[in-house]
Amino acid sequence: MPSTLEKIRILGANSKYDICASTASSRTDKYPKLFGDTNKWVGAAASAGICHSYTPDGRCMSLFKTLYTNKCIYSCKYCFTQNCKQRLSFTPEEYARTFMKLYSMNVVEGVFISSGVCGSADDTTEDMLETIRLLRFKYHFQGYIHFKCLPGVSQYLLKEAICLSDRISVNTEASTKEHLAEIAEQKDFMNDIITRQRWLKQIRIRHNEETLKVMKDWKQDNHLEFQEKMIKDRREDGYKKFRWDGAPILNGGQTTQFVVGAAEHETDWDLLKRIDWQYRQIDLRRAYFSSFIPIEGTPLANKVAAPLAREHRLYQSDWLLRIYHYKLKDLQEVLTEEGNLPRGDPKIHFARHYFKEHGLVDPNQTSYQELLRVPGIGPISAKRIINLRAQKFKFKRREDLKSIGVVLKRADPYLIINGRNQTTLQNFFDPDKSKISQEGI
Amino acid sequence: MKKSASCQDPLEVIGRAKGYSRDELIMNLPRHVKFTPNLIQQIKKLPEVYLRNSGSPMAKKLIRMMREVSLETYRAIQFTRTEINNRGILFGVVLLKHRVLDLVLKYFHKRWPQCVICLYNEHTRRTGIINEKGTIREVNFTLKEVVEKIGKTRPIVPYFEDIQFSGEEIFETLYNSQNIIERENPRYFKKMIPDYCYELPGMRNGVEKRFSSRNKKLNEFLK
Repeated sequence: MPSTLEKIRILGANSKYDICASTASSRTDKYPKLFGDTNKWVGAAASAGICHSYTPDGRCMSLFKTLYTNKCIYSCKYCFTQNCKQRLSFTPEEYARTFMKLYSMNVVEGVFISSGVCGSADDTTEDMLETIRLLRFKYHFQGYIHFKCLPGVSQYLLKEAICLSDRISVNTEASTKEHLAEIAEQKDFMNDIITRQRWLKQIRIRHNEETLKVMKDWKQDNHLEFQEKMIKDRREDGYKKFRWDGAPILNGGQTTQFVVGAAEHETDWDLLKRIDWQYRQIDLRRAYFSSFIPIEGTPLANKVAAPLAREHRLYQSDWLLRIYHYKLKDLQEVLTEEGNLPRGDPKIHFARHYFKEHGLVDPNQTSYQELLRVPGIGPISAKRIINLRAQKFKFKRREDLKSIGVVLKRADPYLIINGRNQTTLQNFFDPDKSKISQEGI
Repeated sequence: MKKSASCQDPLEVIGRAKGYSRDELIMNLPRHVKFTPNLIQQIKKLPEVYLRNSGSPMAKKLIRMMREVSLETYRAIQFTRTEINNRGILFGVVLLKHRVLDLVLKYFHKRWPQCVICLYNEHTRRTGIINEKGTIREVNFTLKEVVEKIGKTRPIVPYFEDIQFSGEEIFETLYNSQNIIERENPRYFKKMIPDYCYELPGMRNGVEKRFSSRNKKLNEFLK
């Protein structure tokens, strides 16, 4: 009988490629508490999680992240299960107790529970649910729980998981049906993954509407009205308007993960199209990308690892879509012929292209959306610029922008202040490169 | 009336630009170890725009002091390692130069509201205690004495009895299992856990230090 330590050693190592945020719930004091307000509840879930430790690759290690079991009926080509010699499973009690011990030591902040599919997805999910039931109702843990939805799981189990977790993720793994078939032929893209994601969206909305209705009947509160609006409101492009909507049920929303570079001809454009669709259609909170790393003994052992820079560019583009309100077609303009993102920051690539056509930006006149396209100006500094203009303030010096947080060394080439534009000597004398600069002078 | 030049400053117009407001400064600066009442008098005299402008020497000093206070609180919350006994007493050791023990105690109280929390501050050599009701007090006893004294007044609770086993080895195993060698990034790791954090009581013999060789001094290598 393997010890708990042995299980953590093996099942922890098997889950290390799963990516998740430290904690991502906004169940703070201003929102109604999911499990009541009595003293018996242990733990807290905050939007910006506290990282209690970091691994040597610099990743935050604040969740108890192990698989529930590494027995799996699937044989995905990139996955460790192909060469795993020792098959182990936790028991629900063992898992919950171990976590509570670590939580009492202040070394972890929450749970990330994932698993291989042992027997059927429903059987394994039932065991995983039993574990989080124990955590919630035996150990009274009200902190952060990230639950992994297994491919092909039944709807009734998802309904319960949604009520008990802060965040649920369904691993999409690849951008299209064809690419998934290439790396995990047993998984049905539409049925096992996309349908589950749609269910999660529907159940979350329905549960939250019902919960807010009950809360309103119980207590009249303007904040509840506002919360309802936050859950429903959308941007013009179909993305959710408020990323942190303060929903009482499944507060952290649903996420997904892609294995980048495992499928042969999968491009960044394919991945960007898929996440854009998921943000609009299934209310995805965010996508994670994991660069493919070959594991010995798997069918893809001889395949070259995907560069980490590719993963980084995808994250940058993802931020442009979600937070900077870029359109997908904006990103299409910067892609290489093969459909991949070029080396370097996609925002700078886009800005070079965009401002050549549209001319430079005057912070005294430009719209919020336009300001966000300038490298070195983020949502916060763009909002500050707009607020200042509303107060009739005029930007006359570069220092005015610097003092409100604009990164001038990036923004300078695209800004025109008082009819002047900063440029480098090289750009000034080189007629080809100085096109942008001369327009500004 | 003609507006003065400072009124047109963007930082004043926006009201919430960089830096801290006067109220925030007055409320939090007394926590700093080098705080003097004279500082508050100076803050009260200065216009807010001057306080918020990170270019002025006074504001630079204030922002630095505020950062030191908040960073020490955050590091204590992050890297304090605690133990819990079967009577519901959560205890640990901290090293706090500034007066932020109450903030750290409240953080643990929020997580373990049914426990009495005792934190021994190595700097002041006093122990801070917060009870179930959230009342805070500091005593001149060592941590061991405090835990023993409080333990005598509290019954054994099955909930806490259930998690009485050693967790250090478990955490070490979990930590080792999560490392992806292909992604190792020592510079980023150093940024996330700077060297001075290894001096904190919870991290002195922490797994992170044992796992990484970068912080070893010559003497430690020779051991």
